[in-house]
Amino acid sequence: MEKRVVITASSAITPIGHHKDEVIDSLVNGKSGVKELRDDKLLSDYVESKVFGTVTSPIEFDFERKYRKTMGPVAYYACQVVKEVLEAAGLDKGFISSGRLGVAFGSTHGSPTVQRDIYKTFFSHSQSKFSSIGAVDYLKSMVHTTAVNITKMFGITGRVISSSTACTTSSQSMGFGYEAVKYGLQDAMICGGADEYDTTTVAVFDNLLACSTDFNDTPHLTPRPFDTKRDGLVVGEGAGAVLLEEYEFAKKRGADIIGEVIGFSCNNNGGDLILPNTNGITETIRLGLKNAMIEPDEVDFVSAHATATKMGDVAEAMAIYRAYGDSPHVTGLKSYMGHTMGSCGVIEAIITLYMMEQGIIAPTLNLDKVDERCSMIRHTTKLRESDIRIAAIQNFAFGGVNTSLLIKKFE
Amino acid sequence: MTREEIQSKILMIFKEEFEIANPGLDENLTEKYDFDSIDALELLGEIETMLGIGLTRDEKKASMDIRTINQICDYIEQLAKKRSL
Repeated sequence: MEKRVVITASSAITPIGHHKDEVIDSLVNGKSGVKELRDDKLLSDYVESKVFGTVTSPIEFDFERKYRKTMGPVAYYACQVVKEVLEAAGLDKGFISSGRLGVAFGSTHGSPTVQRDIYKTFFSHSQSKFSSIGAVDYLKSMVHTTAVNITKMFGITGRVISSSTACTTSSQSMGFGYEAVKYGLQDAMICGGADEYDTTTVAVFDNLLACSTDFNDTPHLTPRPFDTKRDGLVVGEGAGAVLLEEYEFAKKRGADIIGEVIGFSCNNNGGDLILPNTNGITETIRLGLKNAMIEPDEVDFVSAHATATKMGDVAEAMAIYRAYGDSPHVTGLKSYMGHTMGSCGVIEAIITLYMMEQGIIAPTLNLDKVDERCSMIRHTTKLRESDIRIAAIQNFAFGGVNTSLLIKKFE
Repeated sequence: MTREEIQSKILMIFKEEFEIANPGLDENLTEKYDFDSIDALELLGEIETMLGIGLTRDEKKASMDIRTINQICDYIEQLAKKRSL
């Protein structure tokens, strides 16, 4: 039997704030979290894009060494947001270790900082390090490092899903976590994603001519989703986690329900690994609506993936129009913080929950003049006071992976 | 390197790297301080750096039953003697 899946806690570390009030303040006042790229003494001099969605909120990681020793920066982020989610949810310790709570959490690379240190040791020709790879380097840099550091720190014994599909990493975490609860495999799932400050990712997109370079001196003016002057994406860092619970279980324990996941879809374009694909995206959206058993006109708000690349935004706008027409409000939340990679899906879902709660829809930042080819949909160009009942969060990744997540205000 | 120097360096490594301050010399590190196999491997890396040598696989395996600070010092003394350090 299919079960209802509700969201009972969330936490996000983002370039526009760590806690809810900070993030809402940035949305309401149009504050960008994009900053000048830091000098990393390695790649930053060679990449043309000099901007980065940077976390500046002070965060005190109060973790014991026995937990820290297997963590790179990305796992610090992951464990911090999960710690905050568990504190907010007030789950019983017995339940946390009962096997009925699982984790769906991922990142793009594991920890690139640690990987970089491993390569430095290999190629430095230095004899100062006799053990070229430290005992814990693999544990810090493996792709499922976030998920298993979470299970270790909190004693979680349920199933582990660790998606690592670049930009759809955390939307898949939420989607696969939703399915695990919906089909009764787990009573609750902690879902999310994280990615740390990393210039390697900037270099990858820079080489593909996909990064923004025109606003290096005015970082807050980029990225510019759907705008005529958009010139590419801005890589960012961050983390987000949500707790998904089976509705009856959440109700019984008196949990504070902040939203409901009503549908999820994931497909592949079945072809090119880089180019955006309108047909693939459209199909994902339609599959998501079918999974949620709702009609397109029931969706009030679309959180677009909208990375601000020339082709990607057009392909997405066309797909939104084909699937929804021009009725839902559309915002590209990456305009505030850049592309936080493995964490973007869950962060955009959490921000959508914030907006649902506040009764607002934030505009796409830097959207001064809509590109004609993207103009067929209902862009949010200024802050609106508007109730969101059902929202769609859509994300697309290299490799042709697409996801759509449908979230409903809890009624 | 004298026994006292080895002991002093090991205690400093335990304090700075493993956040274990002044453990008893014959205390079981695993039972008392959760010093696990990962820590043991990290410690071997520290010993390599301390002695300026790379340990062989057999030398590393020989360390796996070590449980106390005194046993660590014995192990390092034996290594130093074997390698004429």
